[in-house]
Amino acid sequence: MNETLIETRSLSARYGTSRALDGLDASIGRGEVVAVLGENGSGKSTLLRVLARVLPVSGGEVLFGGRPLAEMPRRDSARRIAYVPQSVDLVFPIRSLDLVLQGRAPHGRGFVADTAEDFRIAREAMRACDVENLASRDAKALSGGERRRVFLARALAQEAEVWLLDEPTSGLDPRHRLDFLETLWRVHGERRTTVLLVTHEIALAASLATSVLLLKSGRAIARGPRADVLTPDNLSRAFGAPFEARGSAFRVRSAVLPGGAGDL
Amino acid sequence: MKALPRAPAIAAGFLLVAAVLLFAFSVGGVHLSLGDLLGGHGEAGRTARVLAALRLPRVLLAALVGACLALAGAALQALLKNPLADPFLLGTSGGAAAGAACAALAGASPLISPAAAFLGAAASSLGVATLARRGGRLDLERLLLAGLIANAFFSALLLAAFSIASGEASRTMLFWMMGSLADATPGKVVVLAPYALAGAAVLVAAAARLNLFAVGEESAAALGVDTERTKRVVFLAASLLTGAAVAFAGVIGFVGLLVPHGVRAVAGNDQRTLLPLSALGGAALLVAADAVSRAALAPAELPIGAITAALGAPLFAWLLLRTP
Repeated sequence: MNETLIETRSLSARYGTSRALDGLDASIGRGEVVAVLGENGSGKSTLLRVLARVLPVSGGEVLFGGRPLAEMPRRDSARRIAYVPQSVDLVFPIRSLDLVLQGRAPHGRGFVADTAEDFRIAREAMRACDVENLASRDAKALSGGERRRVFLARALAQEAEVWLLDEPTSGLDPRHRLDFLETLWRVHGERRTTVLLVTHEIALAASLATSVLLLKSGRAIARGPRADVLTPDNLSRAFGAPFEARGSAFRVRSAVLPGGAGDL
Repeated sequence: MKALPRAPAIAAGFLLVAAVLLFAFSVGGVHLSLGDLLGGHGEAGRTARVLAALRLPRVLLAALVGACLALAGAALQALLKNPLADPFLLGTSGGAAAGAACAALAGASPLISPAAAFLGAAASSLGVATLARRGGRLDLERLLLAGLIANAFFSALLLAAFSIASGEASRTMLFWMMGSLADATPGKVVVLAPYALAGAAVLVAAAARLNLFAVGEESAAALGVDTERTKRVVFLAASLLTGAAVAFAGVIGFVGLLVPHGVRAVAGNDQRTLLPLSALGGAALLVAADAVSRAALAPAELPIGAITAALGAPLFAWLLLRTP
């Protein structure tokens, strides 16, 4: 594995009284693409939210580049870690370009981003994500796939070395899914971005990720190179469903469905 | 999608306020001619100057109160990412009015009433924030419900105060409940101005952070904003502005809702433009509404809150229908 960039030690986080992360130990190497897998409520999104400093830590700690993340000024970590939530409901009108410019906010004085350099970087990010033609459109009125790519462009404009992506492909049609993944892969290749990708698509993890973090009940039950982690045993344990290998893919046995299995 | 260039838009806002001020200045039970005021001799000139001395504080107070309420509404809307947020609807105005009314009932001098209104507004904000706090954070959806509770509580308090009070005191209670600019004095204008300026300065300084909040609190946090601190600062500044406005004009609803929506439709949602323009728009709206309230049924006065509610309630309904 590469040099460790992010390390969590007995990391816990909660919503009210319910524990979403419960003593998670994990490490993520610089430049890796890590797929975070696990059943609903296993703590995947919570992990991203804690790393993005959107949700406070209730126990343990996160080390970022060897330093406690909690001790870093928020603006400093926001320059290095970009978070793309699963979906954002926009209430007020905002031009797509202005939304992408927000990625420059942690770099600007007093969170103002309106220098020529900011505009250049934002436009370049929009070009990379193929949303340049949407620059003057209201982001509220965009389709789900378009908006997803505008938020990816915002993360790109942030020029962060870590991307936290929460189910970035859910709800996208096959073409936009492909566009999105290609953009992600290209940027990762060009900038050596470290990517944490929460997904329910095991096939996506198996094809794109360099390593996999498998969560259950807020803890890691397996982590490491994808070939080591993605086994029928591990998946059955993580999801509480009977998995079997089928070539390089996986499927879940079913007593109800025709053919005796659900394809994944 | 359009966004007006900031400096010209703000300059235009100032011109609008100036025009409305001049209009409101001349309108009323008796028409005031600017020609008589500036160049009038003898009886006409004297009458004009007396009228002006009476009307000037009222018009200026209307402008300040309108600016305070509109600014508080605009900032709260961005902070809470909710177009329905308004100091009136969040219970801040009600708390201020109840504070002032309780002080009046206890026999405190009218000079105390602004301080009591600030305390009431701050207490209401604190109570609402406590109700809305969940897991150590301000939950923005619970905040609106908490505002509803606060309003119910404070209107009960006001009604109780009204029924206990008698004579002059009950007239004062009615003033807090209905809202009025009729008791304007130069002293009130002088006292209100610094509060308005301080609150405005704090909010305008937070404009860039409020832009990030308008997309979402989590989004702002992920971009490096200390969201808890920003929420406290903005909430406090909005309470200060609301308390100051209510102390001198009673509860006047919907200004904080009406004005930011009008401005947003014309100038977009960049808080760096929206906040100053809302302050100017609020001033223009309340000065105009007050002029109408004086002139419509002269010599009787239409309550100014009736005018703002007549404009605001339909807008509120329309927004509710449009909000998913």
